[in-house]
Amino acid sequence: MKKMLALVLTAAMGCTLLSGCSGGGSTGGGSTGGGAASAPTTAAPAAGGSSGESAPAETPAVDASMYEVTEPITIQWWHSLEAQYADVVDQVVSDFNSSQDLITVEAVYVGSYSQVNEALVAAHAAGTGLPAVTVANTPYVAEYGAGGLTEVLDPYIQATGFDIDDFGKGLVDASSYNGQQVSLPFLISTQVVFYNKTMADELGVTIPEKWDDMDSFLEKASAVNNGTTERYGTVIPGWDQWYFETFYLNNGVKLINDDQISTDLDNDAAVGIVNKFKEWCDKGYIYWANGTDASSIMRQNFIDKKAFSVMHTSSMYKLYTDKCDFEVGMAWLPGGATKNQEIGGCVLLIPSKNDQATKNAAWQFLAYLCSKDVNMTWVKGTGYMPTRNSVLHTEEGVKFLEEKPAFQCIFDNLDLINPRIQHPGWNQLATIWKNYMAEIMIEDVDIPGKIEDMVEEINEVLEDS
Amino acid sequence: MEKKSFIKPRTMSAVKDFVCVLPALVFLGIFTYYPICKLIQISFTDWNLLNERWNYVGLKNWIWLFNGSGTKHLLNSLKVTVLYSIGELTITLLGGLIFALVFGRLNKSFSIMRAIVFMPKYVAMSSAAVIFLWILNTDTGILNYLLNCVGLPSVDWLGNRNTALISVLMLTGWRAIGYGMMIYLSAMIGISRDYYEAASLDGATAVQSFFKITLPMLSPTTLFLFVTTFISSMKVFQSVDILTSGGPYRATEVFVYTIYKYAMEDFRMDRASVVAIAFFVLLLVVTASTFKISNRSVHYDS
Repeated sequence: MKKMLALVLTAAMGCTLLSGCSGGGSTGGGSTGGGAASAPTTAAPAAGGSSGESAPAETPAVDASMYEVTEPITIQWWHSLEAQYADVVDQVVSDFNSSQDLITVEAVYVGSYSQVNEALVAAHAAGTGLPAVTVANTPYVAEYGAGGLTEVLDPYIQATGFDIDDFGKGLVDASSYNGQQVSLPFLISTQVVFYNKTMADELGVTIPEKWDDMDSFLEKASAVNNGTTERYGTVIPGWDQWYFETFYLNNGVKLINDDQISTDLDNDAAVGIVNKFKEWCDKGYIYWANGTDASSIMRQNFIDKKAFSVMHTSSMYKLYTDKCDFEVGMAWLPGGATKNQEIGGCVLLIPSKNDQATKNAAWQFLAYLCSKDVNMTWVKGTGYMPTRNSVLHTEEGVKFLEEKPAFQCIFDNLDLINPRIQHPGWNQLATIWKNYMAEIMIEDVDIPGKIEDMVEEINEVLEDS
Repeated sequence: MEKKSFIKPRTMSAVKDFVCVLPALVFLGIFTYYPICKLIQISFTDWNLLNERWNYVGLKNWIWLFNGSGTKHLLNSLKVTVLYSIGELTITLLGGLIFALVFGRLNKSFSIMRAIVFMPKYVAMSSAAVIFLWILNTDTGILNYLLNCVGLPSVDWLGNRNTALISVLMLTGWRAIGYGMMIYLSAMIGISRDYYEAASLDGATAVQSFFKITLPMLSPTTLFLFVTTFISSMKVFQSVDILTSGGPYRATEVFVYTIYKYAMEDFRMDRASVVAIAFFVLLLVVTASTFKISNRSVHYDS
């Protein structure tokens, strides 16, 4: 008996151990990255180095020689582009390294945006181990700018005649802090609704343009039998407030009031939105995706046709079209009084604590990464949007739309894509907000009481930031 | 005539001793005591990790922690950490003891089985956590697949407030139970057979021998396991970070994760430092109390 018990326990422990050796159970791909995608190459010391941009007519007000690269140098670029983009990263870095003789770039995959943030902030505080160039998720721009982590790029732009005006105004604002250009727009996306176009044609359903039409849309798009949901109308990514904050903004809710120390998340419009979300969750119309594997669960539900639509970042377009065996449509999020959306993705910046020689080399590489041609390489190789006006309104833009017609909804509304809210306490606000929202949507709680607690906490954070 | 030294031999010996421990003291000073002092200093400032400049803000951060919005989260972290610690202690002590009794035979097949049970301890926590992410995945995880096979519904292991901490404990238990078993086994082997022979002559049953001999004689080992497991469980971080990131809605936000979140996600080094000091004091008090209580209830084979 004792031996049998011992054998059973051993088998259980051993099986669990061995399960790690089997193939991954997670599906959908691409939620968390694998190993590093470094692409070091060597370059022989020689003269020269170019910003990759032609100079506009304006006269630089700074001494251009201060920003030149004069000695051979090897620099690091931290990025968050997962293994699926490794080929594009290798190609871009290799092209840069062979385009000039002085700078050698090593691309280092650090992890997700939050992992890059942790590594960057720690390196900044320590004053060592900083990369020459790094990506940063758009909401961090304000905090980094306020904290002096980023190098102000205006002198470099002037010195090298970098054509900053070719970016849309929203993108320039999103990468600036306090009127100073502290970063450059790199891989840019926005919130969209991905939907099963094949199913939509069969059911005669379209994605609503207005929040008020969501009720009738969800009724048609979802399939609920005797309280059991067979197909969700849509999935809300509750793990990131970015996906649901536009519903508030377009319905007149100020997430941060003009006084900068309070929020309007307890006004009638905001409470109305929370109640609607909760009602849809209770009816089984929507799924509030929350938790560590929420993203993969959401994607898999859509791929398996268990969700008619999902709200996600436009950068996931390629993944959805590759994985789904039906036609994938992309639509603008339902709006309210306005139908504005917000920039997502990442910017590129140079940490201010680097020495000047590193900064100069970093600028050369940064300008190259954000140049028109390279931008198109990113666009074609990933699911991100073109950032250059000159791309959007040219033959290349037309060609891009021919290849990816679903992007028409974004091209039609480019002027409505706004910068993220910039406030030193924004990240704290976002964490509090999404935690409370998830609790309200998933658990059976006193909603007014929770909203009151949430607002009190957010106001305290805003006041103290 | 012999020249008399100005320094007394006793003083000389003390100086020599001090010089011998000086490198260790310098090391401790730089890497332990200086950071503690710095932490205390930061707790009275508004430093946000990014800024070079900071201001002294008096007791503001302490008021936030004990009489502001921080209190609620401090109590939540305390509750989560204590629950986690109770879970890990139960698994390590009780589970370890049961496994030690089951796997206690000294032959080759049991030796192999013991090795298998102990092996998870060698797997890095980060790797093990990733494996458990797969196992616990709501849609594609093997655990839900097994539940479905026996007609039970799938469970959102990591996304539900009631199951998230249990999920973290599953991982902990899988790694820790073999360790507890090995420690108890080695202690059991050390118990003199004379006690059992005497008990047997007196007609004691196996159960009586276990409760009257084995368990009391294992009390020093239990104390050792209790203290080391308790301290390590209070400092749990990696498994929580990878499996749940403190969620859902702070349901697994243990102390260390709270400190990390304030410092690295919110950039509130000031708030992180007051939580860290509170945590440090709590650990100190609980550990001291444990030793005090243990003096009365631990039996040594002497």
